Amino acid sequence: MSFLGTRAAVKSYGPTPALRGVTVDVAEGEILAVTGPSGCGKSTLLHCLAGIMPVDAGEVFYRGRRIDTTSEEERARLRRTEFGVLFQFGQLVAELTAAENVALPLLLAGARRRDARTAALAWLDRLGVADLADQRPGTMSGGQQQRCALARALVTEPRVLFADEPTGALDTLAGEQVLGQLVRLAREQRTTVVLVTHDARVAGYADREVTLRDGVVDPTGLGIAAVRR
Amino acid sequence: MLLRFALAGSRTDTIRVVLTGLSAALATLAVLAALTVLAIPTVLDGGRNVSPQYRNPLIAEAGLRVGVAATLVLLTIPVLVLAGQCARFGAPARDRRLAAFRMAGAGPRQAVVIAATEAALASGLGALAGLGIYLVGRQVLGSPGPDGKLALPTDVLPPVWQLAVVVAGIPVLAGLIAMLLLRRVVLTPYGVVRRVRTRPPRPWAGLLILGGLGTAALLAPLTRYLLRSGRSLPYDLFGLAVLVAALAVTVGTITGTGWIAHVTGRLLHRFARRPAGLLAARRLMADPWTGSRTLAALLAAVLFAAIASGVRIRMSTEFAADAEYWRRDAERTGEPYIPQDTTFYEGAHDLVYLALTVALVIAAGGLLVALAESIVSRRRELAALVATGVPRAVLGRALAWQTLTPAVAGIVLAAVTGITLQRSLYGGEVRSNWGTVCGASTTDCVVLPPIVRTAPLPLGDLAGFVGVALAVVLTLLLVSLLLLRTSTAVEELRTA
Ligand SMILES: Nc1ncnc2c1ncn2[C@@H]1O[C@H](COP(=O)(O)OP(=O)(O)OP(=O)(O)O)[C@@H](O)[C@H]1O
Ligand SMILES: [Mg+2]
Repeated sequence: MSFLGTRAAVKSYGPTPALRGVTVDVAEGEILAVTGPSGCGKSTLLHCLAGIMPVDAGEVFYRGRRIDTTSEEERARLRRTEFGVLFQFGQLVAELTAAENVALPLLLAGARRRDARTAALAWLDRLGVADLADQRPGTMSGGQQQRCALARALVTEPRVLFADEPTGALDTLAGEQVLGQLVRLAREQRTTVVLVTHDARVAGYADREVTLRDGVVDPTGLGIAAVRR
Repeated sequence: MLLRFALAGSRTDTIRVVLTGLSAALATLAVLAALTVLAIPTVLDGGRNVSPQYRNPLIAEAGLRVGVAATLVLLTIPVLVLAGQCARFGAPARDRRLAAFRMAGAGPRQAVVIAATEAALASGLGALAGLGIYLVGRQVLGSPGPDGKLALPTDVLPPVWQLAVVVAGIPVLAGLIAMLLLRRVVLTPYGVVRRVRTRPPRPWAGLLILGGLGTAALLAPLTRYLLRSGRSLPYDLFGLAVLVAALAVTVGTITGTGWIAHVTGRLLHRFARRPAGLLAARRLMADPWTGSRTLAALLAAVLFAAIASGVRIRMSTEFAADAEYWRRDAERTGEPYIPQDTTFYEGAHDLVYLALTVALVIAAGGLLVALAESIVSRRRELAALVATGVPRAVLGRALAWQTLTPAVAGIVLAAVTGITLQRSLYGGEVRSNWGTVCGASTTDCVVLPPIVRTAPLPLGDLAGFVGVALAVVLTLLLVSLLLLRTSTAVEELRTA
């Protein structure tokens, strides 16, 4: 059993099948790209791997333990402490400042306000947005918001970072900046990354690529980035 | 063109239009009734102003009529506030429609104007309907009873210009309120953005409340002074002053609640250790008005309930003093003492209480809509927070803080302001003094010493209303916690 993965995972939304028996393995410290055409089940796989959503059949495991059979509280704790999650957009709390948004996971973990703020400022600084610490998301550009969101995902120093089209709402330049930082920090911290994308350039940052087609893993293994390489 | 946009819409839009029209019709009826009561001509009968053609003493006695008119006018305040709140009903859907107009090239002002036009048109229709019901009602209820007396003042019609002002004024007012409520919502072509407030609100509310209470407090001595010099304050002037004072106090209480929400938000932000407190604090600070705005109708109802309970306890104290007075008189003359029948008045007050309870429940509808809206419009953000491992309990606690802080503060403020307004209008002292009273023969006339009583504070009734209001808020909070559960489902992550 590898670090993180699924065995024959099945998931459907009512009559619509999204995953039809997906088996993937993610090695520790690896950056894995999940690619495939729109609607093939990439986001669904990420949600199942991160324990955000239960599978209908099959297994999801993390560090040798099944996580698809544990309670929602337990999975929430896991997401809070071991995982970081980054979405396309709209995950920052509009009323909180950047620093407060980043500090939120630490506060949830029981950190003191002052310590949480210090850590949050340090992370904002590492991502080059320290000057935005006291601004609210509404007044930031999309790229700045994603960098704050990345800081929030990494502030707890998670073992795994799940990113679903993290640069999908950004222009090419801003997207490359965010992605470059994501990959650099992940390598520095030896964070495992599951990166969902339909962009070949984004997938090019990954160590390995898994391609989904209609809810199953494409056996040819020829993903978009592989073709490009 | 604007008209077609304003009227084209979904089912929630229809519901909103109907609700707006209904509350406008109610408001029109109440104002027209008040104007009618004030328009009753009085006949001087042995030093007392009476209109003997009516059965009901509340209308027949000029002295009581002012109170009736004031009550009717005051009753329109919660109704008007509700009419304005209806503008927010189904607002997310409407806002999306407005965003589509923006996409189609309409300017931001135009979009707001469309919404305001809708409110004005709906209340215009409502006001016309109210006028219709009023005119028909006069005819239907207009025949005198077997005793040749009228139940209602159906024989008088206020001047036509007053009718015109009411029917035209209510839609204009509703449109303005709608515009005011939409002020903080920015409609961009991409959807609705809530403006996040950075400047703290200023305590104008305090001035409004003090101004209203001050006006009320001045009225009593003014009337007494005028009476002493044989004149009296014209009734409509008195009514107008009471209306202005009540409006000022109501607006002050509602905005004051926003201010309290902001200040508690700031305190909470400074002292909160846990994330729930922090989230609630920031939301309270960012938009203290959502709280107060959604509570507006409820607060107006509580305020009015406080006034009504003050009036009621004063009245029963008056009856008690009168009873004591006439008991002493009977003792003096040796005649049997027959207590006055007060069931009619008690019944009237029961009706007012019932109306207020209904108003509280209607207000709850507006509150629920607003609470649901605040959750639904944030559902993506909430779902993302849950996905990153924020326990739902934390979000629930934040919602509770954020709802209860302004609600509790506002309800207490409304109750205190209402009772203070009533007390400054009428004072707490009640005296029963009928001057020279005579027995069976005109020879044994004496001047009895007046009976002076102090009306207690209506703590029981007040606690009842505050309790009902708090129960309403708590129930709605529970409902919205259920809604929070469905709104944080992972499916919401894909709603843009
Ligand atoms: N909440 C839902 N209700 C119904 N069907 C859904 C839901 N979420 C996803 N689906 C369906 O499941 C399938 C997989 O969806 P998923 O979001 O995982 O695809 P994706 O690969 O992430 O697509 P994209 O690249 O467009 O984001 C699609 O056919 C989609 O229509
Ligand atoms: Mg997707």
